[in-house]
Amino acid sequence: MTEPTRRQVLRTGWKVGGALLAGAAGYTAFEALSPLSTGAAGGKIEVGAPSNFQAGSATYFAEGRFYVVNAGDHYFALSQKCPHLGCKVPFCDSSGRFECACHGSVFDLAGEYVQGPSPRGMDRYHLALEQGNLVVNTGIVVAGPDRGTTTYRTPPKGPSCLGKV
Amino acid sequence: MSEHDVLEPTQGVGVDEPVIRRGLHRSSVWRSIVRHPQEDTPRGRALQGFSNFFLHVYPVKVPRRVLRNRYSYRLGFIAAVLFGILLVTGLYLMFVYTPSVGSAYGDMQKLKTGVGFGQLIRNVHRWSAHLMVLVVFLHLIRVFYAGAYKSPREFNWVLGLMLLMLTLAFSFTGYLLPWDQLAYWAVTVGTNLVHYIPLVGGQLQNLLIGGDQIGQSTLIRFYALHVAVLPALLVTILGVHIWRVRKDGFAVRRSSVGAFGEGATEAPVAGSGPAHAAPELYGGRVRLLGVVDRESVTAESRPVDDTVFTWPHLVVRHVVVALGVCAAVLTLGVLFAAPLRGLANPNVTPEPAKAPWYFAGLQELLSHFDPLVAGILVPAGAVIAFVLLPYIDRNPATAARSRKVAVVLFSILLVAAVVLTVIGTFFRGPGWQWVPPWHHWYVEL
Repeated sequence: MTEPTRRQVLRTGWKVGGALLAGAAGYTAFEALSPLSTGAAGGKIEVGAPSNFQAGSATYFAEGRFYVVNAGDHYFALSQKCPHLGCKVPFCDSSGRFECACHGSVFDLAGEYVQGPSPRGMDRYHLALEQGNLVVNTGIVVAGPDRGTTTYRTPPKGPSCLGKV
Repeated sequence: MSEHDVLEPTQGVGVDEPVIRRGLHRSSVWRSIVRHPQEDTPRGRALQGFSNFFLHVYPVKVPRRVLRNRYSYRLGFIAAVLFGILLVTGLYLMFVYTPSVGSAYGDMQKLKTGVGFGQLIRNVHRWSAHLMVLVVFLHLIRVFYAGAYKSPREFNWVLGLMLLMLTLAFSFTGYLLPWDQLAYWAVTVGTNLVHYIPLVGGQLQNLLIGGDQIGQSTLIRFYALHVAVLPALLVTILGVHIWRVRKDGFAVRRSSVGAFGEGATEAPVAGSGPAHAAPELYGGRVRLLGVVDRESVTAESRPVDDTVFTWPHLVVRHVVVALGVCAAVLTLGVLFAAPLRGLANPNVTPEPAKAPWYFAGLQELLSHFDPLVAGILVPAGAVIAFVLLPYIDRNPATAARSRKVAVVLFSILLVAAVVLTVIGTFFRGPGWQWVPPWHHWYVEL
């Protein structure tokens, strides 16, 4: 193997130096742009005793941006964010279902996918019973159930809210 | 003979000037600033091209057909003028606006009530931004149908696509800044598209909006992108884009078979070198003194001098167009106020929540197909196909009738995009249900 010339060494040095500089700039940009916190999520919110939530009801908590629902004998804390494109999914009192006005995704009371473009059911926050009260931990999110899940499915109570212009 | 004797105007400007102005124009300070001689002769005008910054943007001469409005519809120039208007009005807005969740919306109201012409400036900024997106799209369409992406302009087409992306990024980042319901939810819907990129989508979305939902982090980074990063990128790439247009002779050679085929206005010149590269620069007065292989010098075919001086012919037309654009956006700004809905509320989604109109086609597509397909694969595939287009389409013809496959494919894509955009923008209401615009108007720009 021949000895590299001074010009080859310098040229390689420039390339390596440039690559290191670009890498450092890229990493710094990544660090600067990375979120320092996870926004509003991350805290524990006490929502009250289970008996406060009637069967078939959905109660909205603006401070945590979630619903607490009582689907028969099961309670869920459902993120308000539609898994499709992030709109807030309103609860339709007449049908007893969650119906997204953005693109028409519909979920049942437990947040399971019913119809529309959403890829899955509504995401769920961790829910625990602590000293007789339900506590929602918005720092622990479980991705919504896959399409086709019908564990808690009940027929709609009445007419849909979608399409009312 | 001194240098000043050469530069001294012999006719035209200067003869009938008042004494003071003539003295000023002949002073050494003036000549240090304006170095061209201002002679109103072809030679004087040509010399200005070498001593005048302005004529480094424009060529000294352009093909006569460039003067026709129908030639390019001046779309690239109009887009540049709109960008200029956006820079000026944007600077005014920066004096009033603070990128803070607590004050951004109030600043919008302050523009309306507390700042003289504040609302007008905002209106003009808003309408110019929408128009710029529209005009850049139309420019792309015109360039495609003219076959102007072909050699030697392949890379300038790619630069143009980068400018289109930057224009969209400009408009999208600016959309959030008023911090009203329209801004908040349009950007929520728009940024959630990123989530569908396989593997890295979630992290990319977090980087883009600075968290898991739109908030202060999003506002500050969109603002930084809007007023610093994107302008720097756009000005740089636009500079190279225009420079290449100018170096490529400012006009596409019209041909149905190739660069010098049927319909071409310039005939090939025997020989090579700078004279061959840009015969119009020399006004057709090219005389070859080199040895021509196996042909006599009399066999030389000269370029047809079908060129005109850029100043005043093209520049005057550009000035008129620029004034027309200013008048148009000013009229829009006076007649139509930029929308401002209620303060952004993460707990209430307006019905319907629509992305900006240039993404409404994608939103419409999303209501029919899987998000990965409609939100990522289709737009990314279209961008990649457009970037590769000049390198795949090797057919040298520029006339539409000689490139039927490319024209038909592009036209199908164009019609589909327009139809989806029109449906998404005008025909969709709450729940993304079908609502004709004459029944209820759900459009806000």
